[in-house]
Amino acid sequence: MSAPVIEVDDVWVRLHGQTVLEGVSLAVYPDEFYAIIGPNGGGKTTLLRVILGLLAPCRGEVRILGTTEAEMRRFLGYVPQFRTFDFEYPITVREMVLSGRLGHITRRPRRYDAEDRARTEEALETMRIADLADRQIRDLSGGEQQRVIIARALVGDPKVLLLDEPTVYVDAPTEAQFYGILDRLRERMAIVLVTHDIGVIPEHVTRVACLNRRLYTHDTNEITPDMLEDAYHCPVDLIAHGVPHRVFSEHSKEE
Amino acid sequence: MFEVLEFEFFRNALVAGALASVACGVIGTYVVVRRMVSVSGGISHAAFGGIGLGYFLGIDPLIGATGFTVATALGMGTLQLRARQQMDTLIGAVWAAGMALGILFVYLTPGFAPDLFSYLFGNILLVPRDDILLMAILIVIIVAVVAYLYREFQAITFDPDYATVMNLPVERLSLLLLVLIALTVVMLIQVVGIILVIALLTLPAAISRLFTTRIWSMMLLAVALGIVFSVTGIWLSYLLNVPSGATIILVSTLAYAGALGVERLRQGD
Repeated sequence: MSAPVIEVDDVWVRLHGQTVLEGVSLAVYPDEFYAIIGPNGGGKTTLLRVILGLLAPCRGEVRILGTTEAEMRRFLGYVPQFRTFDFEYPITVREMVLSGRLGHITRRPRRYDAEDRARTEEALETMRIADLADRQIRDLSGGEQQRVIIARALVGDPKVLLLDEPTVYVDAPTEAQFYGILDRLRERMAIVLVTHDIGVIPEHVTRVACLNRRLYTHDTNEITPDMLEDAYHCPVDLIAHGVPHRVFSEHSKEE
Repeated sequence: MFEVLEFEFFRNALVAGALASVACGVIGTYVVVRRMVSVSGGISHAAFGGIGLGYFLGIDPLIGATGFTVATALGMGTLQLRARQQMDTLIGAVWAAGMALGILFVYLTPGFAPDLFSYLFGNILLVPRDDILLMAILIVIIVAVVAYLYREFQAITFDPDYATVMNLPVERLSLLLLVLIALTVVMLIQVVGIILVIALLTLPAAISRLFTTRIWSMMLLAVALGIVFSVTGIWLSYLLNVPSGATIILVSTLAYAGALGVERLRQGD
């Protein structure tokens, strides 16, 4: 297998006197669809923020494409869970997606060129929001806004797309559509999906890990009952939680 | 009513009002979209400490105010970025401490501080020619910096987290923006005074926000509105023989109320 795009090596994070991440290590390979599940407050968003360089771990390191240099972050596409920006901001869909190219621009002053614009139109097409390009982001529905956020992450040609609870704001049909889009994107980049909802793990996930301060992983795409028990600290009834059959070891090869 | 234009002080006042409006429109736009209204209020009141310091040291109070506000802006920005202090409490402390320092310095200075009042409430009719030149230079600097860093400022005021991921120097850019706010505030002190600065900085941009869809168009409309408000205010204050700074602010506030009403009607359709 080729070299990993993301390596997290023995990362510890302490926030407000509490240990949030404890010796977390993981590697994401170029063709992977990595799902990280775990309870709320289990440190999922914190782990993503450490990978993105938004939070410095108190121990351990993160390597992107083999190095710890901050400029490698431009190879990461990020879809945050919480709205990290103000939807009342005067900006059009096209401008917001274009802004995802800023990490790649080396000339000064930073101005967009034909390539940036072409990539933007491509990302708008991929997310099927080309017809919304000139609208203000505040005039969009929740699902449309979510697609703009993903388009902004895609426009920088990321090697990995990091998604934090991407479906909490959207309804069920939109969610199905959304996983369809992820399946298409998989051919071009690795995907790391973080969610507290074990029912949403899509069928094409290649690896699953449970995070609750520590990371529990079995290097397969199956959620095993003992993994969940370790992570959630209580026996979890998989069926009662609506986990589809495919995540069970016995049935995982059927589909 | 146009005979007053023959007086140099009146022409100076109109020019100063127009120049201040340019800075307000450009910088006020960032203040409004990034919701930094109270930070700017804190910076402008801290300026009073600098004016007191200027009196105390026997230098031009405006030079004292410039140094003091820039230092305050950098200090607050650094604390916010590093210490993650509760920003509203911090602003409240800086706001009051700046005023308190100013009062102490003025008290400790022997003699009487003759134009203290004009720093608090502004007196655009007394703006000397040299100050107008200084304002013009400051505006050229502000507009040049904003033009050069337009994309960067858009990114950090829109989504600082994502700007960090894209490896922009978010911290340095945020501090630079705070310095530009501080310089704008000092410029406005002459026009409307410390206490009223915040209104002229935010109202034109807030009205403009209702009718524009991009940062640059929001800036252009805010500049135009600022010029209309200050010229109208100065003229009214002359006709009615009332203080100019307060008149400019009341004209702006009425326009803001009107704009909100229009927006309400538009959305009701």
